[in-house]
Parts: sequence; structure tokens; C-alpha cells
Amino acid sequence: MIALDGVTKTFGLTPALQNFSASIARGEFVSIVGPSGCGKTTVLRLIAGLMAVDAGRILINGRPVNGPGHDRAMVFQQPTLLPWADVLSSVAFGLEIRGVPRAEREAVARDLIQTVGLEGFERHYPRQLSGGMQQRVGLARALAVNPDILLMDEPFASVDAQTRRGLQDELARIQSTTHKTIVFVTHDIDEAVRLGDRVLLMSPRPGRVRDAITVPKSRPSGEEVEADLFAIKSRLWTELREGA
Amino acid sequence: MRTALTPIERAPTLTVLNLSRVRAATMSLSLGLAIWEALSRLLHVAFMPTVPSIVKSAWRLTLSGQVPEALGASLMVLVIAYALAASIGVLAGVLIGRYRYVAIACDPYLDALLGVPNLLLVPLFFALFGLGRATEIAVVFVYAFVVIAVMTRSAAATIDPLLIEMARAFGASDRQVLRHVVLPGALPTVMAGLRLGMGRAVRGLINAEMLIGSIGLGTLLRAYGNQFDAASVFGILSVLVALALIVNGLLRALDRRLNAWIELPGSSR
Repeated sequence: MIALDGVTKTFGLTPALQNFSASIARGEFVSIVGPSGCGKTTVLRLIAGLMAVDAGRILINGRPVNGPGHDRAMVFQQPTLLPWADVLSSVAFGLEIRGVPRAEREAVARDLIQTVGLEGFERHYPRQLSGGMQQRVGLARALAVNPDILLMDEPFASVDAQTRRGLQDELARIQSTTHKTIVFVTHDIDEAVRLGDRVLLMSPRPGRVRDAITVPKSRPSGEEVEADLFAIKSRLWTELREGA
Repeated sequence: MRTALTPIERAPTLTVLNLSRVRAATMSLSLGLAIWEALSRLLHVAFMPTVPSIVKSAWRLTLSGQVPEALGASLMVLVIAYALAASIGVLAGVLIGRYRYVAIACDPYLDALLGVPNLLLVPLFFALFGLGRATEIAVVFVYAFVVIAVMTRSAAATIDPLLIEMARAFGASDRQVLRHVVLPGALPTVMAGLRLGMGRAVRGLINAEMLIGSIGLGTLLRAYGNQFDAASVFGILSVLVALALIVNGLLRALDRRLNAWIELPGSSR
């Protein structure tokens, strides 16, 4: 479980987060939306341990975060693949850092390359792949270290709408089989509601949680849920507009 | 259609030696020699010997053992000095490029060495090491070291910070970031620096030997220059040119091998 308690972060003179509090359950898929510049990415980077909070605290399973850890992995807005590493070594990168022997880490990587639908591209380099494929490599790389928590920073923002839809479906499928805790930052309300069990709406800078909405999961009866989702999206839109 | 003047956007193949390259280089060199020969015959100036007389002198000096002995001596200095310059230059470049305070401390020296004619250091080395090989090695070292360090420094300093953050997010230590991100990312520019450094090393070698050497190609050049024996001077120079071309070819081959990912077929850039 992730607990953010009164988290405050300032960059120079610019307050990015002010008293941000939220609690994310194990296995939960939480989307974070908010106006641009509200500190969404900062929340992720703080949970990832890439920087430290100025005030407040972040606990993961009761232990404070101080630096990156094996329990978390991040998928970035840009694919951030090493241009000199082929798909196989890219996906195995996190395991290599952790000192997993080559044969073992490549077996894991091959498995995940299949999961994200890139079999046959093991020996391709990033510049030989489309943006969507690069993003899949980034996702597979994060999954390869088998983290409890997956931190995703607008991972599908830079791919075309059709590819995005496919990647969303894949992520939903992966989540339903692996039950990982996912914190998913996006500026796309449809995406946030489509994927998330819960949506956290952030206020404009300095960011804090303005609203938290639980998304009803689809039931066979369908219709009611559609209406619920519509209501949730309108509520988010309204609040987003008010906040800006 | 590819013509001789098609701009090189990407290399057509990954092979290190390809025939069309060799053919183009041979044609270019032959043309240069032909122009030289024509000028030398037309102008009849004392210090522009004909190509055959240059070749004859080079051959004569080779048979007499003067060039082989000088070449051996020069190569020894070159290899030792260059190996030191390459290893220390890359190390220094990475440290200066990655650590702000090292940069603040070292940049003035690097800039000074880049600006000041390196030969001005000869008296200093002379005082430190005396007359001999050590002084020549020191001079060649400085010539090559500066450009290798400067190129490595800028390569290491301009690594995409997002890639470094990515590695950190996966728990990479400083050392792992260096090994898995900084060094491979810097490698193309480091190789360019190593090639520039080799060119400068050869220049430094000849300068040092002409100035203070008692043996070596530069010393030989000085001796024949003093006798106004132009054919021999150019004969020795042609040996030097051949040496420079061979060494540069080797470094280029190494570069293409290490950085093959840059010239991948089917890449978007």
C-alpha cells in the first residue's frame, strides 16, 4: 500500500505540490488527472524515489521511501530507451542492473516481449521501431523487474489514437492477470476513467488532491455503468474547468 | 540513383571495408598525385620534387635502414604516448564532464592547453625529463591528451538526462549509470576525439623530434631538410602520411564496429 501524507515539494520558488495526501491500496489501479503543470509527474517521481519530499511523507507498506527500490518500476512519458541497446537487452535492462545473470534475464525478457506483442523484434534497435513499439518496450522493461508497483507517467501520450487504444487494452489485460498496483498519470480523462479503479483529480499548481472518484467496474448489465461513467467524466471535466 | 556526389545520409552497409570506398579513395589519391606530378614538372621549383624521385628516395632510405630505424623509434614514442593520452584523456574527460566541481577545477587548465601552442611546454618537459625519449613522449601526450579530454568531456556532459533518470529509477548506482548509460552514449564522440587525438599525436611527434629528437622520423626530416634534399624530405613525409592513413583507418574501423547502431539500416534518421 502507498500512503502519501501531506506531501509538499517546491522547485526553487515554485511550489509544485502542497499538502498532497492520498492512499492507494495494493492491487489498485489509480489514475491521476489534473491541469498541466499541476505536479502529476512530481507525484510519480517522488513515489519512485527519484527525489525527496520537502515536507510530509510517503510510505510504501509502512516504510518511508528513500530512493528507488526493487518494489517499484517506472514507465516514462518518452520511451527513454538506450539507443545502442536492442529490444532484448532493453527489456532486460532493469534485471541487468540488479545483477541477474544473462541467460536468466533474457528468458524473462523474451517472455515479456511476447506479452507486449513484440516477438520477432528482439534484435531491433529503438530507432528501427515505431513510437508505439518503443513504448511497449518501455512497458515490458518495467514489467521485467516484476515490481509490486508500476508507476506510469502519461505513457501513451505520444502515440497515435489507435495505438493508444491497443496499448490501453493490453495494460488492462496485464493488470487483470498480474494484479499489480498501478499509479497512472494522464491528462486524458477518458483514459483515466477507462483504466482506473479510482481517479484522483488534482488542483492546479501547487497540486493537491481535489477529488477522488471510484469508477464502477463493468457489469454484465452494462447500461447503468455507461451512464455512471458518463456522469463521472462530466464531473471531472467540470471540476477541471473550474480549477483552471 | 546513387551517384558519386550523392550526399552521405547513411552508410549503405555495415561492412568495415567496402570496395566502393576503397575504389573512391584510390581514385582521389591518384588524382592528388597526378596534380602534384604535373605541377612539379611545370613549375620546376627546387622544393617540389617529382613523384618518381620521391618514391626513389623513400625506397633508398628504406633499404639503407634509416627509415625503418627512425620509424621504429617514432612508433615507440607514438604508441606509449598515445596509449597514455587515450586512457588518461578519456578518464579525465568523463570525470570533468560528469562532476561539476571537477569541471570548475579543471576547465581552466584544459582551455589553456587547448589555446596555448603545446610546443611552448617543451622547455618545461626538457627541464623535467631531460633530453630524450621521455620528453618526446610528454610532448606527444599533451598534443593528443587535450583534444581527447575535451571531446570526451563534452560527450559525457551532454548525455540525455532522461536516460540517466531512467537508469536511476531502475536502481542503478553511480558506477552502473556510468557503465550502462554514460560510457556507451559518449562512445561515438569519444571515438571522434581519439581519431583527432591520433592526428595531433603524429603532428606532436614530428614537432618534438624535429626540435629535440636524436632519432626518429622528425629528426630524419630535420637532417635532410638542412641538406636541402627535398626528395628525401618528401620521401620521409610520404612514409608519415602512409602511417597516418593506416592508423586512422584502423581507428575508423574500430569506431564503425563499436558504434554500429548509429548506422543501422532502416533507421528513421
